[in-house]
Amino acid sequence: MRLAFILGEIGSGLRRNLSMVVSVILVTFVSLTFVGAAGMLQMQINQMKGYWYDKVQVAIFLCSEGSTAAGCASGPVTAEQQASLNSLLESPAVAQYVNDFQFESKEEAYNHFKDQFSNSPIVDSVTPDQLPASFRINMKDPEKYQIISETFSSQPGVETVIDQRQLLERLFSVMNGASLVAVSIAGVMIVCAILLIATTIRLSAFSRRRETGIMRLVGASKTVIQLPFILEGVIAAVIGAALASATLWAVAHFFLGEFMSQQYPDTAFISSGQTLILVPALLILGASLAGISSLLTLRRYLRV
Amino acid sequence: MIRFENVTKVYDQKARPALDSVNLEIDRGEFAFLVGASGSGKSTFLRLVLKEDRATSGAVYVAGQNVAKISSWRVPRLRRGIGVVFQDFRLLPQKNVFANVAFAMQVIGKSRSVIRDTVPEVLKTVGLEGKEHRMPHELSGGEQQRVAIARAVVNRPGILLADEPTGNLDPTTSMGIMGILDKINQNGTTVVMATHDDDIVNEMRKRVVELKNGVVIRDEARALYTSMIPVVGQSRRLKDASGRDATETGLPGEGEGQR
Ligand SMILES: Nc1ncnc2c1ncn2[C@@H]1O[C@H](COP(=O)(O)OP(=O)(O)O)[C@@H](O)[C@H]1O
Ligand SMILES: [Mg+2]
Repeated sequence: MRLAFILGEIGSGLRRNLSMVVSVILVTFVSLTFVGAAGMLQMQINQMKGYWYDKVQVAIFLCSEGSTAAGCASGPVTAEQQASLNSLLESPAVAQYVNDFQFESKEEAYNHFKDQFSNSPIVDSVTPDQLPASFRINMKDPEKYQIISETFSSQPGVETVIDQRQLLERLFSVMNGASLVAVSIAGVMIVCAILLIATTIRLSAFSRRRETGIMRLVGASKTVIQLPFILEGVIAAVIGAALASATLWAVAHFFLGEFMSQQYPDTAFISSGQTLILVPALLILGASLAGISSLLTLRRYLRV
Repeated sequence: MIRFENVTKVYDQKARPALDSVNLEIDRGEFAFLVGASGSGKSTFLRLVLKEDRATSGAVYVAGQNVAKISSWRVPRLRRGIGVVFQDFRLLPQKNVFANVAFAMQVIGKSRSVIRDTVPEVLKTVGLEGKEHRMPHELSGGEQQRVAIARAVVNRPGILLADEPTGNLDPTTSMGIMGILDKINQNGTTVVMATHDDDIVNEMRKRVVELKNGVVIRDEARALYTSMIPVVGQSRRLKDASGRDATETGLPGEGEGQR
């Protein structure tokens, strides 16, 4: 009975304050979309980093079947060449710059590739032989890349030496900058959302002061009096969060999944499925925004 | 049932207290009028009983409990034991008669079936059977006040507080309301009614507690609106009363006059 009563109160409150409720929905929608966008950028950065990015800085790719590089004129890397490269890496001259290194076989390269490009059609057209084996090196000082490059570029069986960081670092710093902007906008919008929710609840409490006055007099508990107001804000904010989630999903699905991945087939994009991780976070964030701001408001405006 | 021990209430440090060292006991089942000019502290008295405000000093006991000691989450339970009626009815305009009375039961979690059984019964005691589906604006003032009384007593409180319940009503309608309050009192509910309607007080012949500037100046059983006992400084009022009521009453009430 009490539950039915509270639900009825919420319904009438939402209807009575419809325009305010709509603005709460929109403001939480926009602010949480920015929060989610920042999250998506970070997810995209992780996706592009792939398996090796955070572990090593330099990759020495070895010659494979179709390599056209000058050092690969004698065909794919042989077992002896690979062994001598390995011992060169362990020699004191090189080892002083190296924390540690790992060998990635063609098979391993294929597995890592499959993981990173799981959302992309390119994964079906690639076979293990097309991917080069490599040594992946974790540098003591990433700035000393030149030394490794000079030492290994001319070794037999080496196709190329790559400083991974140089390729992606600038892009990542742009993306990190964009996340920061998104988070800042989200911060401002969240303040707006909190103030708007507080105002909405205040108006709602004011327009229902007759009811709440009578409820107090006949001995309704604080919960019964306040819960409808709190839930009103929470419901509006959760609807906003759901809209934000749907928007982010649509961006991942249509923009990244169908447009960008066609334009940039060699870049790994996050899938729309991955954005679903953000949904519970956004819903909880939206609900707690509303919950907190309504608790603070009601303490002042709805004495019990 | 209600006991005030040396209760003082100060709203504004610069003004005189709204209640000044009030000592008063109202027993279970009693019917008491609280009379006095506007601003004499009647409403303040009722608000202290409800713990709507806290006494500045002294102690207020309701049903044996010092209300200052009731924690805020248990205040609703105190209020469930007290019904309240006001001069301005305070009905919910968008709810019909039945829903207005049912509201008081819904918000404390009574089941639908209990509400369905109880509300018509209570509406019958206040003489509103058959008007369940009327909206408040379709009712006369007296009928609206009956709805408010029904709402106040539907949860069977031990105490009914009425703050000038007849203030907006004509004399005939007022007497009807008094009949209902009397009936509720006969059923065992303690009734405290603040009023400055002398006709009603004189008609009912109940206990009268008179306040003046926050001080109890009279507490008489089966009394009139104005005392027959001469009180220093009260002679003008006495003369007013004697002109109208002396023949009817003749003898002084049996309480004691206080200053
Ligand atoms: N909320 C309040 N704030 C300040 N002063 C008040 C308040 N309520 C009542 N008073 C003052 O207390 C005195 C008693 O008021 P009240 O109890 O309402 O008297 P009554 O009901 O007998 O007319 C008056 O002087 C009034 O101005
Ligand atoms: Mg008053």
